[in-house]
Amino acid sequence: MTAAAQLEVQGLTKHFAVGTTFARSRVHAVDDVSFELRPGTITALVGESGSGKSTVARLLARLHDPTGGAVLFEGSDVARVRRRRDVLRYRSQVQLIFQDPFDSLNPVKTVRHHIERPLRIHGIVPRHEVDERVQELLRAVGLVPPQEIAAKYPHELSGGQRQRVALARVLAVEPKVVLADEPTSMLDVSIRIGILNLMMRLKEERGIAFLFVTHDLASARYVADDLLVMYAGQIVERGPVEEVLESPLHPYTRLLLAAVPDPAKRLHADRIQERKGVAAAAVDPPEGCRFVSRCPLAIDVCSRVTPPLVEARPHQAARCHVTAPSNLIERTT
Amino acid sequence: MTSLVEVPVVTRTSPPALLELRGLAVDYGFGENRARAVDGVDLTIHEGEILGLAGESGCGKTTIANAVMQILRPPGHIAAGTMSFRGENLIGKSEEELRRFRWRNVSMVFQSAMNALNPVMRVGDQFVDAMQAHERIDRRRALARAAELLDLVGIDRARVRAYPHELSGGMRQRVIIAIALSLNPELIVLDEPTTALDVVVQREIMQQVEALKHDFGFAVLFITHDVSLLLEFADRIAIMYAGEVVETAPAGVLATNAQHPYTQGLLESFPPLTGPRQRLTGIPGSPPDLRNPPTGCRFHPRCPHCTRDRPELYRLQTIERPVLREVEPGHSVACHLVAGAEE
Amino acid sequence: MSQLDPTFDLPLAAPPTRVRGRVRVPGWVVLLLQNRKSRTGLVMVGFMVLIALIAPLISVAHPNDFNLLAARQAPSWQHLFGTTDQGSDIFSQVVLGARRSLLLGAAVAVLATGLAATLGVTAAYSGGVVDDVVNFVINVFLTIPAIPLLVVASSYLKNRSMWTMAVVLALVLWAFEARILRGQALQLKSRDFILAAKATGESTRRVVFAELMPNMISRIAAGFVLVFYIALLTDAGLEFLGLGDMTKTSWGVTLYWAQVNSTVLQGEWWPFFFPGAALAFTVLGLVLLLAGIDEVSNPRLRNERMPRRGLFRQLFGGRLATRAETSA
Repeated sequence: MTAAAQLEVQGLTKHFAVGTTFARSRVHAVDDVSFELRPGTITALVGESGSGKSTVARLLARLHDPTGGAVLFEGSDVARVRRRRDVLRYRSQVQLIFQDPFDSLNPVKTVRHHIERPLRIHGIVPRHEVDERVQELLRAVGLVPPQEIAAKYPHELSGGQRQRVALARVLAVEPKVVLADEPTSMLDVSIRIGILNLMMRLKEERGIAFLFVTHDLASARYVADDLLVMYAGQIVERGPVEEVLESPLHPYTRLLLAAVPDPAKRLHADRIQERKGVAAAAVDPPEGCRFVSRCPLAIDVCSRVTPPLVEARPHQAARCHVTAPSNLIERTT
Repeated sequence: MTSLVEVPVVTRTSPPALLELRGLAVDYGFGENRARAVDGVDLTIHEGEILGLAGESGCGKTTIANAVMQILRPPGHIAAGTMSFRGENLIGKSEEELRRFRWRNVSMVFQSAMNALNPVMRVGDQFVDAMQAHERIDRRRALARAAELLDLVGIDRARVRAYPHELSGGMRQRVIIAIALSLNPELIVLDEPTTALDVVVQREIMQQVEALKHDFGFAVLFITHDVSLLLEFADRIAIMYAGEVVETAPAGVLATNAQHPYTQGLLESFPPLTGPRQRLTGIPGSPPDLRNPPTGCRFHPRCPHCTRDRPELYRLQTIERPVLREVEPGHSVACHLVAGAEE
Repeated sequence: MSQLDPTFDLPLAAPPTRVRGRVRVPGWVVLLLQNRKSRTGLVMVGFMVLIALIAPLISVAHPNDFNLLAARQAPSWQHLFGTTDQGSDIFSQVVLGARRSLLLGAAVAVLATGLAATLGVTAAYSGGVVDDVVNFVINVFLTIPAIPLLVVASSYLKNRSMWTMAVVLALVLWAFEARILRGQALQLKSRDFILAAKATGESTRRVVFAELMPNMISRIAAGFVLVFYIALLTDAGLEFLGLGDMTKTSWGVTLYWAQVNSTVLQGEWWPFFFPGAALAFTVLGLVLLLAGIDEVSNPRLRNERMPRRGLFRQLFGGRLATRAETSA
């Protein structure tokens, strides 16, 4: 049932050095992240600001170089690739959509320019067909009439329209993988659904593998097939989206679920246990679980040993000594 | 008190009105090129209630907040209507009177509040600043009060000596809320206070605000685009679209019985976390350009119920602006479909 | 700025082209024409350019000729600006001098700005070794004191033609602009649309020239105008000191001869006044143009204009109140 992975991420790690020459620290933005992106599926990467989810997307788009780990695309590790030709080929297959629709388009260039460039750089179609292809792409993302829209500048479009242009630009190279970095967070609520529906349609029609990075669990549930939960640079839970949300293993996932506004909660509002802690990247983290300061289930071993990602149920894994202890593997068949 | 009951309270016994806006209109610019950001808005906030004001970009909600505090940035100005606080008209007051009014009666927490803190001043000093600007209080007492307030919002008192960059985003937001509380105002305006914060911190802050409201009895005007947040925390909700209020109702009523097609569309734009997974449609199109709004009902170009199949109704929808009408106690809607047009 | 935080700013970088009648006028031209300061500046500079263009038509054939019969004459109908000690027509010298000055200013501006933009932006975008090297070069040029260098260079150079001076001036003035443009490019380079261009596969050259620079037009234009008038003034200054080519016609040379012959001491104000006024007029025009560009580039300055209530009242009448006008 599971098709071969389009993009395989193994142990991806990114540390940023901060501080002065005398007091250097390393921010562990991404630590040992592994997952797969399969064609025709949407994988949601959920986490709060600073959890490292955007960094993961940018690492996969090769906007940063990883500190460690491998990113396997069609067999070869793209993190090690240096030759311009190979980098270009990778870029034509793996594309990125940005969060801020107001920033991801060049304000002094027309829509046409944005969509033409990738067509020309990668030679997708012969020169005389470029114009036609631009119009086709605009239609594919629901921007009609295409001729009119193509002549507009970004500031003449609404936020939703700009994200569609970003999608059209991405589709121009006919990518196999699309990394969407919070594509709807800065859009009006009523427009988000349109973009999400468009993503689902593109995944079905073109068999693209999507990585949907977001902090909104609800929209993750709406579009995604698989869910990855990140905390302080690590993946703390993963699995099929319905199962993870219905019976979450990791305490952080449970915390997130409890925190999302829900009208039905009105009468039964339990105060969330207020433990100090931030979901942001850890600086020079010690050994042990990074969630330990906020965890209601913490036991002694949690502050000493970093829990590994353990598949406690079929297809569902979590990084927790309590709910997904590592000796579980030995116990089950 | 309304916050504990699901069923809407009959308006006869609701607490006295604190802030009343009648026919408020705010323009940006003058003459031909002006954009009317707020067009004839009626709104009432009662003592001790949380009124949520929800809408998407360009609906005018932030403009209303700025108008209430009288801090509209030129070329924005109040073009028409009245605004009264406990019966006193706010429009036309002198700058000095407004200064006294601000912070003691009404205070505001801005959208990018985290950036509203002066980065080179300690947190405690910023409290002192705010307090000394509005009442005679010596530094020592002001600092003591600052420490108290920090405690109230769940921050360690010792942080009075901290600089803003030493605090996390959520903590800075709480500091801003504490500063807004420092003079015991009767009304606090919160303009998208949790938009930039993550879901967990958002809940903590909302719970804090609720607890403080319970203790101090102030009213809250809560402005946000996140209706689901309001459904959980607000007492009453007003939905704005393109500069007008299109529906107001108690939160529980709005959740189950929203009448205006825009409200319905908006509520349906929040994918559920529980229950079956269904395809949603959102609302097609985008909000209008306020320099040239649609004639008649401003929502009609996007409304699923506006079709030429019913020509009489269609004519009404495209020519006449609907007025807010009460459809049940406490619940008003501005829509031709509701309250008598055809159904 | 996100959709959730709407403002009424107009985007400054790409006002759409306006179609005026049949002519497609680029949006930025319209903006510059609308702004009072830049409009005035453009008119003034435009006037000077016009004069320079028609100069051969309105001047005498050999402005530097000696004509002792007509020497030291005050302005009259035959000699609109009077004559020099040697009898040369000052009017001709001024209008012909305009050619040299404007040409030189433009040449220096083009060279210096071109160099500054190319090196500064490329360094900022490329980062790493390229940035370090260019930075070093910029610093070297910045630390060289300009005036002494110019004085020394023009004293030693055998060939003091206009182009030589242009090159020398450009080399002195480019570094300052380069640093500023590098700074701005550094800010722009982490913007999403630049990252997007990179992720699309654009080459460095294309990103620098086709994506980054078009977004820096206002700063580059401002730099251009700035270098223009600094070059004008510096060149005139050098010539006044006697370091230029004394055989050519230019404002500075006229001023030099005026000073050498101590004309003012003899009550002859016109050899000083007219070339000086021409220089001042041109520079003022450029300064106004620069101020206008600054205003146009900064959307905040544009939007906060309330209707003018008279300059006097604005200056002395207290705050501009945003009082509500309760309309009937």
